[in-house]
Amino acid sequence: MQSSGADRVRRLLTAAAGALLAALMALVLIVGFRLATRIRANVALLQRASLLETYPSALSQQLTALRERLGTLEYTGGVHQELADSVAGFDRNLAALERRPGVDRPVLRAAGRLWKAYTPVLAPVLAYSGEPYSDTDFGSSLSVSGKIYYTQVRRAELFAQSSAPALHRRLAALSAALQQRTSSAASRLRLLLSVGVLAVLLLGAAAAYLQLARSRGERAARAAEEQTRDILHTVREGLFLLDADYRIGTVWSQALTHLFGREDFAGLSFEELLRDKVSPATLVTATKYIKLLWGERAHENLMKSINPLGQLEVVLDNGRGGKETHYLQFNFHRVVGPQGVKHVLCTVADITSNVMLARELHEAQESAHSQIDMMVSMLHSDPLQVGGFLDTAAAGLKHVNAILKEPARSHAEFSRKLTGLSRELHSIKGEASALNLMSIAQRVHHLEDMVEELKGKSELTGNDFLPVVLKLDELLAHLRAVREVILRLSTLKDGTPSPEGTLSSPILRLRERASGAEELAATLQGLARKLAEDHGKPFTLSLEGLEAVPAAYLPTVKDCLIQMLRNAAVHGIEPDAVRRAGSKSVTGLVRVQFRRLESGCELVFEDDGAGLSPETLKEAAVRKQLLTAEQAAELDNRSALALIFKPGFSTRAEVSMDAGRGTGMDVVAKAVYALGGRIGVSTHPGRFTRFKIALPAPSQTAVA
Amino acid sequence: MSSDTPLDRRPVKLLIVDDSNIVRRRIERSQQFDDLQVVGTAANGFEALELARRTDPDLVTMDLTMPQMDGIECITRLVKLKPGLRILVISALADKATAVEAMERGANGFLNKPFSDRQLNEAIAELMY
Repeated sequence: MQSSGADRVRRLLTAAAGALLAALMALVLIVGFRLATRIRANVALLQRASLLETYPSALSQQLTALRERLGTLEYTGGVHQELADSVAGFDRNLAALERRPGVDRPVLRAAGRLWKAYTPVLAPVLAYSGEPYSDTDFGSSLSVSGKIYYTQVRRAELFAQSSAPALHRRLAALSAALQQRTSSAASRLRLLLSVGVLAVLLLGAAAAYLQLARSRGERAARAAEEQTRDILHTVREGLFLLDADYRIGTVWSQALTHLFGREDFAGLSFEELLRDKVSPATLVTATKYIKLLWGERAHENLMKSINPLGQLEVVLDNGRGGKETHYLQFNFHRVVGPQGVKHVLCTVADITSNVMLARELHEAQESAHSQIDMMVSMLHSDPLQVGGFLDTAAAGLKHVNAILKEPARSHAEFSRKLTGLSRELHSIKGEASALNLMSIAQRVHHLEDMVEELKGKSELTGNDFLPVVLKLDELLAHLRAVREVILRLSTLKDGTPSPEGTLSSPILRLRERASGAEELAATLQGLARKLAEDHGKPFTLSLEGLEAVPAAYLPTVKDCLIQMLRNAAVHGIEPDAVRRAGSKSVTGLVRVQFRRLESGCELVFEDDGAGLSPETLKEAAVRKQLLTAEQAAELDNRSALALIFKPGFSTRAEVSMDAGRGTGMDVVAKAVYALGGRIGVSTHPGRFTRFKIALPAPSQTAVA
Repeated sequence: MSSDTPLDRRPVKLLIVDDSNIVRRRIERSQQFDDLQVVGTAANGFEALELARRTDPDLVTMDLTMPQMDGIECITRLVKLKPGLRILVISALADKATAVEAMERGANGFLNKPFSDRQLNEAIAELMY
């Protein structure tokens, strides 16, 4: 903007020069006109002067001619008349010259005096009016008056002949002076005309220069305008100026159209811009704020810190007829001129994605925090068991992964796959909830839901398993996080940092100090407490002989007991009211007994609950389409009880975290069979359910 | 300027208004200006007005949420009492609307709670000179 001052000065100078030249032209014209007039007048005078110049000799000649005619007695009237005309003409022309300016007066006066000297001699001649000749018989001769006339003419002739040269000289001088004047005026006029021509040329040049400058200026202005337009069309922010009436100026960026879904911004008031977009309270605050921007107290930083439109939630049309919530950020910059604030430059940006991102980040942080909090509180109670669980869970999930990777084509293959997944997940979930690791249990429960949903599908492809794989990844990540925390926590509890810094070493060390049996007992008691609480069924868990469980059987025994404990809590132990009605103690009892026998080991699991009803089991099997009604009718009680070991069997109609998925006893049975053992069930309705598991001696089996 | 003569350097009189005793003391102790003289501390709007009448302060630090008479009302009355009084709002401004309102009523600056000593002194300096 610096050049505009210099531009203005240049333009002013050019204009002044032009005006000066124009004035000069006018002057030249006026002076020229006057000069021309004078020259014309001078030329007329010169003509008269030249005419006058001829008179002296003419007079002499006329007088001579008159005298000769008188001498030869010729007719004199004509010459006399010519003489009179000459005299009159001289008088007239002389008088005319006398009145004119620019005539050399002394010379004219001298000529006048000389001419006046003619008068005495010419007057008698001119006054003569008689008959100069008398005719007698003797012939013609001069009459008396004629003789006098002759004498007078002769005298005049002589006078004229003597005076004519002097008079002529005077008159010639007069002409010469006039001529001199005229030619000097003419040369002045020539000079003037040259000046005029020069001025015209200069004026032309100035005009051309001005034109050039203007077109250059116009081009620059056009280019600037184009650039402004490009900027306003391209910039992603909404840009506009607010005037002192809080109205939007005529120049605004195209982005506003997208942000506000309208085109008519010029002249729109700020309030109108926001109305219908924000709450009335916000509108009032925004309007007040805009007014404050014009005030003296409005420092940029201060105003920025109280900007109520820094993150404005607005509802905009999404262009497809719907509404969308956006977050707009308004920024205001005051444009200050010499007379205070001229405009307020307003920029508007759509910061929706930023806000969303920040929100997601916040939520992620929150959830991480809550998880850590939860984990820490859990770990506080029993980090040892959690460590053990993490190991088994990792192994279990490895198995899940293996199942997922198995190729499958037929529906039966997919079905088998799903059943395998269910089982594995179910047992992980059981352990997780036993340890009160709800964040893990819930995730596994989700996975189970997904698998369950797949089971309901008539046609399956590999792609259907993709969400399960993703969810599994998430679960694994979560387990890693938990492991990380427990590692830190156990390190903390130990008071000695792990020498190798490996993940499992502190846990291993912890495990070494506690026997597997203690850990198992603690897990089971914890689960029992939780189940009793969750289902509102108080019961006591009595554990006997667990220390005799061979190390090789510990994982299996643990898995089986957890499953059976859950079944007992859900299906076995009755609700308060039922137990009261049956005159039973309100607190149930679950007994676990492990014994080493000569032939191997025996694990007995017994609850004093409702027992199993063969009829109910049969109905459930029919409902699950594991049996037809006819097959069910033919089944004896013993075979009916064995139904609970069938895959996919469950008596519960609805699914809960602990039971009802139809996975449970089949897992237990499968695990027992895998060790080469047997499982049996006996029951008495309303009294008890007892599972008896026989396992071979550990040395006899190859299974570790 | 006349500031060469010590007599012309009249100290700036400060009135502290906040319902919290701790905050009042904090402001009083944290300010580091030689030419700032604390002429009074008030725990609510009525006290503030009463003290302002008696002590004729040049500068007021003002809390917005106070019992009896809130800061906005107090600002309005103070400005009426003494036009040209400089008011620094020191408050936990939950929403910008309150700030705009205070500004409209005549506040000259804002300082968000919690604040550091440096922030306090910068905010006061901005209004003192």
